[in-house]
Amino acid sequence: MLILAIDTATSVSSIAVADDSKIIAEITVDNRLTHSETLVPHIEAAMKISEKSKDALDGIAVSIGPGSFTGLRIGLGTAKGLSYALKCPIVGVPTLEALAYHFPVPGVYTAAFADAQKGNVYFGLYSFKEGNIIEVKPVQVLPFAEAVSYCGTLDAPVMMAGDIFRKKSAKKVSLPENCDKAPSNLLLPRAANVALLGMRMLSEGKKGNVMDMEPIYIRKSEAEVLWDRRHPETAAKSEPSSIMIDAISGERGVRND
Amino acid sequence: MIEKDILTLGIESSCDETSAAVLRGGRQLLSNIISTQIPVHQKFGGVVPEIASRKHIVNVMPVIDEALSRANVGLGDINQIAVTYGPGLVGALLVGVSVAKSLSYALDIPLIGVNHLEGHIFANFLSYPDLEPPFVALVVSGGHTALVHVKGYGHFEMMGQTRDDAAGEAFDKVARVMGLPYPGGPQIDKLAKDGNPDAIDFPRALSKSRGNYEFSFSGLKSAVLNYLNSMEMKHQTIVKADVAASFQKAVTEVLVDKAIDALSETGLDKLVLAGGVAANSSLEGRLKHAATEHGVKFYFPGLALCTDNAAMIACRGYYQSLTGKYSALYLNAEPGLSLESRMD
Ligand SMILES: [Zn+2]
Repeated sequence: MLILAIDTATSVSSIAVADDSKIIAEITVDNRLTHSETLVPHIEAAMKISEKSKDALDGIAVSIGPGSFTGLRIGLGTAKGLSYALKCPIVGVPTLEALAYHFPVPGVYTAAFADAQKGNVYFGLYSFKEGNIIEVKPVQVLPFAEAVSYCGTLDAPVMMAGDIFRKKSAKKVSLPENCDKAPSNLLLPRAANVALLGMRMLSEGKKGNVMDMEPIYIRKSEAEVLWDRRHPETAAKSEPSSIMIDAISGERGVRND
Repeated sequence: MIEKDILTLGIESSCDETSAAVLRGGRQLLSNIISTQIPVHQKFGGVVPEIASRKHIVNVMPVIDEALSRANVGLGDINQIAVTYGPGLVGALLVGVSVAKSLSYALDIPLIGVNHLEGHIFANFLSYPDLEPPFVALVVSGGHTALVHVKGYGHFEMMGQTRDDAAGEAFDKVARVMGLPYPGGPQIDKLAKDGNPDAIDFPRALSKSRGNYEFSFSGLKSAVLNYLNSMEMKHQTIVKADVAASFQKAVTEVLVDKAIDALSETGLDKLVLAGGVAANSSLEGRLKHAATEHGVKFYFPGLALCTDNAAMIACRGYYQSLTGKYSALYLNAEPGLSLESRMD
């Protein structure tokens, strides 16, 4: 299975080309946020270096979140276009699980964090067993300090990673004795991990659908949070949706997905 | 490939409409699908950028898929992709740009980054198969008001544009203060039909200076807000329909006067109206009337093509491709892109 993987969930923009036996090529850049400019040129380069034709791709794996909203959409939009045009399946790989794949060590936990702004993090807890990443705690949004002190209560060593450690505010939080921060080469996500997890998911039949796939945001937009706070009575009601119109015939609601 | 048979796929996602269209040659529109988010943003009283982006990423592929199927062509038949890269909301633009770039790479076909405002002007070529430059275009959209001398398909000369608020912004702000639901422009237009346009004398900024094609609507906007405040302070009843009609008249008069001025300076006899605010019936009506009085032919793209849509982007992209103005895969969204003079 030849697969192209994309991870643009953080300040890192990473592309990998992999087949069943190995990571053939990876381009990982962490140098200013220019994902929107460079992602497709990097994909082109990675395919060229791999000496593989894009028509030979059996799948597209994309880091699906949580992470930077805009970064996730750049990655997913690009992945959707590729999947649709090359007629190959797409799969969304949970970003923090892919990050935890840096640490395939039995008997320890991996705490994966993604910056959720204002001192908060998306926090997922993982362990490794018999070649698999196990989700110990589903991803949630917490103040970083709270997530760290929770890790201090765990009964095993905890390896911590994620872009939150790039923030000045994170340096003020001291780590409990059983916790350690990953070195810089393993601190942020890389597409090689997304490729391996994506390949496994695809072989398990876990395909996404380009027609309705969304990033995993976890959080609502700021405007919706404010609205729900001010209008608790309508918060639970179903949301209005977009209307598709054929502008030539004037027909409305032309497609129901 | 004969130019007139070139198939262009257009993609537009600059604000709250996700759209895709297929165009044959420069003028034959095969499909134009628009997914509008107006119902989604209504309760917030305006477009919420993050929500818009979230809807775009979900809607973009179904819209493209539907545009291809309505055009009765396969993705493999498409020869080139035109996409809006600015101006607009950055997160929204990035969805269309990302998809367009990956399609261009995957299909090995050229990419054409299109200026959304130029697209609005080109909507007219789709409504009028015989329309050709040169002409004067009045662009009136949410964020922009401009008079452009269109000398050729790739040759524009900016005659003047807004110094501060665009006409569309003034409409939206006045509508919001009057408690009208979003989007405000059409609401004011509707309300104005029952009002007296001469009830209140609002100022016409920069309207008297001939040969000056700059616009300014922030003074007018403030005047309306001051009027509403002072009436409230005096506990006097506000006749909303009269306010709407008088405000709308003040805006349209300035636009009409300047457009007619621009025509007489350039000696041209074709006036083209473009942009979302062009849907305002009073503006269309007055311009048409004034144009006819001055022996000028008036063009208006029709409702479906003057709101944001991908057909106009495909059309602009087609004419751009004729002069070889393609984009690299490094194309980025440019939220602050402006309408400028250019000569391809
Ligand atoms: Zn527009």
